[in-house]
Amino acid sequence: MIIDLNFVGLIIASIMASAVPLILASCGELITERSGVLNLGVEGMMIIGAISGFALMTVTGSLIVAVFGAMLAGVLISTIFAFLTQTLITNHVATGLALTIFGIGISAMIGKNFVGIPGKEFPILFESLKDTIPLISPILFGHSIVFYFAFALPFMTNYFLKKTKIGLIVRAVGDSPESASNQGINVRLVRYACILYGGAMSGLAGAYLSMIYTPQWIENMTGGRGWIALALVVFSTWNPIKILIGAMIFGGLTIIQFHMQAIGVRIPVQFLTALPYIVTIIVLVVISRDSRKIRLSTPSSLGKSFHKDN
Amino acid sequence: MNTNLKISNVTKIYPGCVANDNVSLEFNSGKIYALLGENGAGKSTLVKILSGVIIPDEGKIYLNENNLNLNSPSDAKKNDIGMVFQHFNLFETLSVFENLIIDSDEQRESLREKIDLIMKKYNFPIDLDIPVLNLSAGQKQKVEIIRCLIRNPKVLIMDEPTSVLTEQETSELFLSLKKFSEEGILIIYITHKLKEVMQLCDEVAVMRRGKLVSVSEIKNENIESLANKMVGQNLKTIKKKKAKTSSDQLIKITNLNFTSEDPFETNLMDINFSVNRGECLGIAGISGNGQSELFQVLSGEIISEKKSIEFNNNYIGDLNPQERREYLMAFSPEDRLEQAAIPQMKIFENVALNNFKSSNFFNNGLINENKIKEHSKKIISDFNVNTDNIELKSQFLSGGNLQKLIIGRELITSPDLLICFNPTWGLDVGAINYIHETLIKINEQNKSIILISTDTDELLKLSDKISVIHKGKLSKIMNAEEVTSEKLGILMGGAN
Repeated sequence: MIIDLNFVGLIIASIMASAVPLILASCGELITERSGVLNLGVEGMMIIGAISGFALMTVTGSLIVAVFGAMLAGVLISTIFAFLTQTLITNHVATGLALTIFGIGISAMIGKNFVGIPGKEFPILFESLKDTIPLISPILFGHSIVFYFAFALPFMTNYFLKKTKIGLIVRAVGDSPESASNQGINVRLVRYACILYGGAMSGLAGAYLSMIYTPQWIENMTGGRGWIALALVVFSTWNPIKILIGAMIFGGLTIIQFHMQAIGVRIPVQFLTALPYIVTIIVLVVISRDSRKIRLSTPSSLGKSFHKDN
Repeated sequence: MNTNLKISNVTKIYPGCVANDNVSLEFNSGKIYALLGENGAGKSTLVKILSGVIIPDEGKIYLNENNLNLNSPSDAKKNDIGMVFQHFNLFETLSVFENLIIDSDEQRESLREKIDLIMKKYNFPIDLDIPVLNLSAGQKQKVEIIRCLIRNPKVLIMDEPTSVLTEQETSELFLSLKKFSEEGILIIYITHKLKEVMQLCDEVAVMRRGKLVSVSEIKNENIESLANKMVGQNLKTIKKKKAKTSSDQLIKITNLNFTSEDPFETNLMDINFSVNRGECLGIAGISGNGQSELFQVLSGEIISEKKSIEFNNNYIGDLNPQERREYLMAFSPEDRLEQAAIPQMKIFENVALNNFKSSNFFNNGLINENKIKEHSKKIISDFNVNTDNIELKSQFLSGGNLQKLIIGRELITSPDLLICFNPTWGLDVGAINYIHETLIKINEQNKSIILISTDTDELLKLSDKISVIHKGKLSKIMNAEEVTSEKLGILMGGAN
């Protein structure tokens, strides 16, 4: 049998493309969680990003406005979360769940008028290089700018957390907001910023779905990817590089099980659909079971409200 | 250059409590000042005001005649006031170096050089690249001190710094503090330990219930005079009578091991000891050397091998705490609010938690409230708990009263063995005295105690036999008369 290298390259590229929204949302949520805030609203922020991006693109016709508008929408909805949890000291879990429910509802309402409208073509980079080298070219070239950004993001996030002063402050706040506050760090400000950043990344992930990955609006089109992104953060033990691995496994299995279904493999469809979820979690648990490292990278104050008493 | 720090008419009021009532004090560099007082006397509030963590309602602070506006910790830092908190302000999962650079604007390289210089000068050998959680308490404190020294402070405030240190670490700390003082740093030392004040300080200010009671020179004071000022009344000294030696063995631990899955807990290795009736076995050690694991194994929170614990001729290693209580064991855990009591529940409900078959607190699954309340009232009056309202939520009891309630709850069934873990931690002198008297009384009634404590003085006062736990291993068991606190200190540090 002759394996068509270009075909393999295309499959890998499609796996990577399906991993993009997970990487974006996870890396955003990772920063939020590293500051000690547990935002379960990822799914809601993503879907808001998806509808905002699609709607803005349709209305204004500008892709740039649409992409940045989706990020801004993510920021705005996460501001609600930040205000509730950081200023009014509400419970992170309940507020995050409410945010998701709110996001799904409001996106469906706004989206009513955009169902069935075709999307626009999103420009791709390095298109001319697409056929130069078999296997490699389809993987490396001919993708949108968001795609390249997503695959650089885990490394940038890692660098930010480990090497920069602000990254250090974010980790410090997540470790002990009390100590940070006593050191003169404005805990609330840091956490606000991290929540808003997480919102922006979730918004971008949503926009990628509705504008690039499947350019159209379908109600509830995020389909649980926000929850997977959340799980990736936890099971990667707050490590951006492992998020990349986890997202690739999840994307890969999702694509492969589609192909298996198409070929007609005699395995129950339900099992195939469940496969990516189970395998991703198992793999991440296995590669991150060093309990010392877990202790060192888990934000100790995760999900706990911090109230400066004075 | 001389540093002069003046606190002028500072008042801070919390709902229901005046933490600082019109306090005025003056400090000059070249001397070490003690700020002495019981828990709740207001000394921590005062130093938090000096370090910008708390903003006073009234009053001013002057450093070298300049009025300071301390609205946040960074204001204090900017004005060269450094503070080492009682509960360390460190980030456990960050490396030592990351902890040190976080509030500095200097370049990493130049800062590393500076830190190396400080560590050499004061003989603080610490690996900068390991996470803080791997450090001992003494090392953590050094990290805090280095963090202050980086900024060349004029004032260094130490809030109860020795509560987690061994004798050796304490004397090392005192040497460093004296050195800092000679170099012109003004040192303010907050404590409730009188011995330390006498050893270290030049002047002492005593606080009681938010008020400044006295300011005097150490050479005009002694331990008794300071204790009386601190408590506001004359304290009787209690002393344990030598117990009559009994050979009637009550509990025997044989080859007990515990291996934890959590790498940040301590494994217990080959624990062997026995306690006779009427005896108090003290277990000394620096916190984090396996005391909490040992307590849990003894109390049944962690189940061990059946035959590893023999109590009253029964093997009970595999029983849970409830079952062990039925065999007349009683437990007083370290953390009063987290482990011993449920703070949101009322006093009588907390009493009911310690439920015996014989106590009839429950009938056919229903709560017998009258019975429980009657029982609770008896505990409150027998054990001198300062409230008459058994409907009060436990969280509103002071530490001392809560501890009395817990000990009372455990003792009212007259158990054969009481196992307590740091029973007087954080209590004021009056409550400590009461608990100590109670424990001595238990021994006099021919009942036994296992006292796990990090307070060496307490152990020497109450124990008949003493052993030291270090890294999960017990030292040989010594007779208390043959032991000195110096010897304990050496064993606690891991030497033989």
